[in-house]
Amino acid sequence: MTALRSWEGFLFAVLILIYAVNAWSSPVFLTPGNQINMFQLSVEKIIVALVMTFVIINGEIDLSVASIMGLAACAFGWLVQAEVPGGWAIMIALMIGLACGAFNALFIVGFGIPSLVVTLATMIAFRGFARVLVEDRGINAFPAWFNHLGQKGLIGPVPLAMVVFAVLAVLAYLILQRTAFGRKVYFIGANRAVAEFSGLDVRAVKAKIFIASGVVSALAGILFAARVGAVRGDVAQGFELDIITMVLLGGVSIFGGAGTMSGTILAILIVLALRNGMALQNITGHIQTGVLGILLILSVMVPIIRETGGRLIARVR
Amino acid sequence: MKHLTVSTLALCAAMFGVQANAQAVTAEKGGNANMVLLPKFLGILPFDQANRGAEEAHAELGNTGTLLYTGPTPENSVAGQIEILTTAGSQGQAVVMLSNNAGDQIAPAAEAAQAAGTKVVTWDSPIPSGAGETVFVAQVDFGSIGVVMADMAHSIMGGEGEFAVLSATPDAANQNAWIAAMEEALKGEKYASMKLVDTVYGDDQSEVSYNRALALVDSHPNLKLIMSPTTVGIQASAKAMQDEGLCDKVKVSGLGLPAEMVSYTMNGCAPGFALWSFVDLGYLTYYTSYMLATGKITGEVGETFNAGRMGDYTIEQDPGRENGKRILMGPFTVYTSANVEAEAN
Repeated sequence: MTALRSWEGFLFAVLILIYAVNAWSSPVFLTPGNQINMFQLSVEKIIVALVMTFVIINGEIDLSVASIMGLAACAFGWLVQAEVPGGWAIMIALMIGLACGAFNALFIVGFGIPSLVVTLATMIAFRGFARVLVEDRGINAFPAWFNHLGQKGLIGPVPLAMVVFAVLAVLAYLILQRTAFGRKVYFIGANRAVAEFSGLDVRAVKAKIFIASGVVSALAGILFAARVGAVRGDVAQGFELDIITMVLLGGVSIFGGAGTMSGTILAILIVLALRNGMALQNITGHIQTGVLGILLILSVMVPIIRETGGRLIARVR
Repeated sequence: MKHLTVSTLALCAAMFGVQANAQAVTAEKGGNANMVLLPKFLGILPFDQANRGAEEAHAELGNTGTLLYTGPTPENSVAGQIEILTTAGSQGQAVVMLSNNAGDQIAPAAEAAQAAGTKVVTWDSPIPSGAGETVFVAQVDFGSIGVVMADMAHSIMGGEGEFAVLSATPDAANQNAWIAAMEEALKGEKYASMKLVDTVYGDDQSEVSYNRALALVDSHPNLKLIMSPTTVGIQASAKAMQDEGLCDKVKVSGLGLPAEMVSYTMNGCAPGFALWSFVDLGYLTYYTSYMLATGKITGEVGETFNAGRMGDYTIEQDPGRENGKRILMGPFTVYTSANVEAEAN
């Protein structure tokens, strides 16, 4: 536990450092407008990262999140184009997300197929449905109130999606760290066999997490549609990697059982600030991708090195 | 060839100038405006050529501000373009010159940038709805590209048989407009025996385009030609046909860069293709942007200005987009074995 706390302490120090460097190198960085833009540009990814934290701590992975985002966004667009009222279109798109999550859960929990395999398959399948729905064309005739919600401030200059993120972040923290369900998530992730022998409802917990992942991803997809005011088949394509990067950087173990919600949130802030800082310094494209890649490698390596190091020291003693 | 193109350009521009019947404004050198050239993504030749043109104009105009050439990676093109455009607004850049790859999804970011005082000049590929866009610098008239593609297909196929289109991304506004224009041209009597059997998308990525081209040959046994209105697609298609020894049966044509296509044109895989100069496009786009940034023009229809070595240009209503304004660069060159080598070197 001490080790975990120190990882978060390390992340916090890194975050402060990045903020300081950014503020020093660009006068724009700390302005409210830029800070809001910084969040707004990635808000859909960071919302999904919250639920991905549950998935990975539980010892699973969900590669289909970005495809569910795309499918929900395209379904919304298709429905609006078919003159379904916006409110209904949102509800139906969320239900589609729920169905996608339940479909994943059916194969992972019901048939016991590894989540890596199942969600790799559905990542391709859901993306395919999205492309079929909008038939290779963009759809942009959304209701004005919908675009307004995505692009204008809701509370002062703060847009709806950021409010949604803030609420979900608090909820996710409380559920993971303060409830019995949260403790089950850790326990199952740490050792599934022991959890099963202890009589824990492993399958129910896993199913709930995958269904939640589907619904939250669909919500994020709809928020994306509102922010950019248009959808097409490739909405959110490739986002799953950024999302997983944030969670792993937050100290969540890819093997399950370890990590915290505050770690994920710190990592989210680090990635956003780093990206924004680089963009303000006109570092974009491949270099930006490279820096984030190195960050991911380090975030996976450091805990492993520390663990093996610790074990070696213990053996010597 | 270069000289011919440039002089025709000048002639054409001069004609437009006369039509508009307005005095062309000239640039005041030595202004200070920070400019961003934002391509669809980094790493392909035509965008680098456009940057060369922009750099040429930047130096010529003695702009004391900066010219930044930056873009996203191909996998992250849409989100990356939105991010860079948004950041440019925060940075207070004077103009972003955008080759749009995000369809209408970039419109809110463009409108926000405009609100922050950053002008958005599109080139190569516009914002379809025109929202948030100051003006579009069009390489050639979209309708005439359709006719040229139909004519190249006609001459290569001998006026009859099946052909297919291999395009860029499904939502690329320029490619879609050109394909639509070609389909319109194909309705003519002359092309009655030619049949467009399929349209597929290679996402402007070499490997995807290569595989799509081979898939086209598999699914259409009588295919005589692949028409690819994108520099990535045409090269990948030509390479695919060459690698599989299919060049006698299936030819490749479309829009390509002489430097990339020369070997395929000489060995007969791609006997004819067309393109405009991306260097000129970058140069004209920069001139337009500089004039806007220094307040010499405001981006209204009817304004005429002088773009250095390329002559005079006028802002007009874009016939292809209801709410769009454009500056038409005009004509392009058809390359065959007769002239491709000279241009490629």
